Amino acid sequence: MKNQKNFERIMGILTWGAAALTLGVLAFIIGFILFKGVPHLKPSLIAFSYNSENVSLMPGLISTILMTLLSLAISVPVGVFAAIYLTEYAKRGSKLVSLVRLTTETLSGIPSIIYGLFGLLFFVTYLGWGFSLLAGAFTLSIMILPLIMRSCEEAIHSVPDVLREGAFGLGAGKLRTILKIVLPSALPGIFAGIILAIGRIVGETAALIYTAGTVAQIPKSPLSSVRTLSVHMYALSGEGLHTNESYATAVVLLLVVVAINTLSAKIVKSIGVK
Amino acid sequence: MKKIIISLLFIVLIASTLLGCGAKNQGAFDLEKEIIVVSREEGSGTRGAFVELFAILIKGDGIRKDLTTKEAIISKQTDVVMQIISSNKYALGYISLGSLNDGVKVLAIEGIEPRTENVMNGSYPISRPFIIATKSDTSKLTKDFISFIMSKQGQGVIAKSYIAISDDFQNYSTVKASGRIVVAGSTSVAPIMEKLKEAYMQINPGVVIEIQQSDSSSGMQGVIDGNSDIAMVSRELAKSEREKLTPIKIALDGIVLIANKHNPVVGLTREQVGDIYTGKILTWGQINE
Amino acid sequence: MNKSKEKFMAAVFFASALISILAVGLICVFLFVNGIPALFKIGTLEFLGGSQWSPMDQPAYYGILPMIVGSLYVTAGAIILGVPIGVLSSIFMAWICPPRLYKWIKPAVDLLAGIPSVVYGFFGIAIIVPLTGNSIVSASILLGIMILPTVISIAESALRATPRQYYEGALALGAGPYRSLFYVVLPAAKNGILAAVVLGIGRAIGETMAVIMVAGNQARMPVSLFKGVRTLTANIVIEMGYAADLHRGALIATGVVLFVFILIINISFSALVRKDRG
Repeated sequence: MKNQKNFERIMGILTWGAAALTLGVLAFIIGFILFKGVPHLKPSLIAFSYNSENVSLMPGLISTILMTLLSLAISVPVGVFAAIYLTEYAKRGSKLVSLVRLTTETLSGIPSIIYGLFGLLFFVTYLGWGFSLLAGAFTLSIMILPLIMRSCEEAIHSVPDVLREGAFGLGAGKLRTILKIVLPSALPGIFAGIILAIGRIVGETAALIYTAGTVAQIPKSPLSSVRTLSVHMYALSGEGLHTNESYATAVVLLLVVVAINTLSAKIVKSIGVK
Repeated sequence: MKKIIISLLFIVLIASTLLGCGAKNQGAFDLEKEIIVVSREEGSGTRGAFVELFAILIKGDGIRKDLTTKEAIISKQTDVVMQIISSNKYALGYISLGSLNDGVKVLAIEGIEPRTENVMNGSYPISRPFIIATKSDTSKLTKDFISFIMSKQGQGVIAKSYIAISDDFQNYSTVKASGRIVVAGSTSVAPIMEKLKEAYMQINPGVVIEIQQSDSSSGMQGVIDGNSDIAMVSRELAKSEREKLTPIKIALDGIVLIANKHNPVVGLTREQVGDIYTGKILTWGQINE
Repeated sequence: MNKSKEKFMAAVFFASALISILAVGLICVFLFVNGIPALFKIGTLEFLGGSQWSPMDQPAYYGILPMIVGSLYVTAGAIILGVPIGVLSSIFMAWICPPRLYKWIKPAVDLLAGIPSVVYGFFGIAIIVPLTGNSIVSASILLGIMILPTVISIAESALRATPRQYYEGALALGAGPYRSLFYVVLPAAKNGILAAVVLGIGRAIGETMAVIMVAGNQARMPVSLFKGVRTLTANIVIEMGYAADLHRGALIATGVVLFVFILIINISFSALVRKDRG
């Protein structure tokens, strides 16, 4: 009995401690970035065009948004459709399904630097797109595909069969059931995957320096080279001339991440309420 | 709820102690401690110039060997080099004179301070050229941009943060150019190229100049392949590159050795620097002997 | 009409499912075609087993054993630090945490996932490196933090998917709440947690931009936990820009090695999971 009590106590402390540590680390990192970056925030940082005097992050911000939208536009439909196939159409245990699972798992394990190499060899060189927004977005969309597929699959799985049977019982076809009943109830889960994916895109550097290049400009076409905020930060630290601006950029980057997360949480919530 | 607050407080406490430790860098300087050698990556123009100037590089017929100690910390970013030096009392590193800030201490070489005038008159011997390379049949617009760089105005821009090659150059006369120039190459040259670009575009608003930062070698490859017009190069050109491209020296850059501010050493000889970077001298104590 | 639409969409779904196979195929082909010739030219044994890496010297040496060992060290370190904390945190979030608190923790973990690796790198160089130097330990600590959100969110959803009855059943049998969690709920979510660990390993072994700022990047066999190492990823990103010909091939081959590692990890884990099921 005493053993039992000790176990409870120790595990309680460990669990609470681990959660507190996670939160503490986060708070520490955020505090550190704010401490180093906020004093250097100034209006010239968001000037419309970049030059070596203002070190503006505006082109980086716009490039990041474009990169995110383009990657999601490619990856989300593919990911959601693939998940629908895997959960609703494929025969359980078929060879093809396990191959898809295996390759998806493989994709999710591939490091971003490998995606960068692949993007460089395939999109940039072989297809001849050069360092460009397009090459970057295609590379990233492959990178985030497993995140979206996995979360979508899980979300669809968790939709109770009763709903499907109900819809079938009312005479709805398979496609209709999926689009009108299953997908809507799976939406929060799908959004969770998209949030993770956005997080990865915004934070990505290694896969982008070899595919999208490092030009600090607002892209004029999908074939322009761009520099997302993360790459911008990395590039700024290269020569050691703009350390303060790097930290200020980090603050903005954090704000962007917070904004994305809050927005998505709101969306998920509003759907949940419905 | 109480538990959380207590544990959070606890973490903040630990964190702040750690931070405190990190920030304080005092205590006696222990001469027996190992020198933390920081170098740049192989292939970087800064490292190339550095190993050549301090005879760390052996070059011969079909032989090339960079003798930099395998224990040297390798950093790709100047910022990181400076951060390591400023947070570690025993560290030694080297950076471009143009990137220097006051978080670190500059070491004299052979008793000569690395100042602009000393680099220009050659008394501070550790410097390298910043070069641009083009094909000989490059466009008229590119030629105009180069004539701007080599003019009084262009060299004036360079002199603000780096070292101009000389101070008697012709005035640049406007030709009202327009078009697009792609410049690619060394990240060391990129900051000054950005300044040149801005000054040039102020005179010629119709011109768009794109600067791609990668490194000297791929910059030159880009020009050879026709993907860009001007390569930025921070080292001497290899023979094979010289056959295809025309180099023009646009500026000088000193390379400075930097140490932590708490380090009592004020200067090194060339031989000492060479010995430290090849691992023959291991501790700071060996310097004073 | 409806029937053809059904058929068409079924085909679209099917095609989408094939994309990931296609992507892996393309990645394999392009990496292998560009990397394998260099591997043969250098000699597989010299490449994988050589402990000297000096590609720009003449004669050049292309041994990536130090980087292989380096990657294994920092990844192991990250897993040792990150997985226990991550799994415990996920248990906390899925079962213990009061809803009022959950409202705060969940976004916090999402934020941790969203922090770019470059920012982690800045944090590492400014806070961790002054304490433990550019070393295996520093890299492990930083990577341990970076894999937390991955481990937590995957493990948490696995834990949430465990039926509540398991927990309640264990309670009813007289086990304390934590005993029920650790002996009944946790084992039931084993597969999901393994998946979390795999993804954690993947993130740690593949992390590049933060690692190059803290790991020291010395291309030699690791000598001590408090000295630096170079990882496979760092090797690629540090030198790719300068590399030409055989050197470039050797770096792509380094990528191939990394890729094969990931494949081995994935396959052995899914074998493990399958054996467990059967």
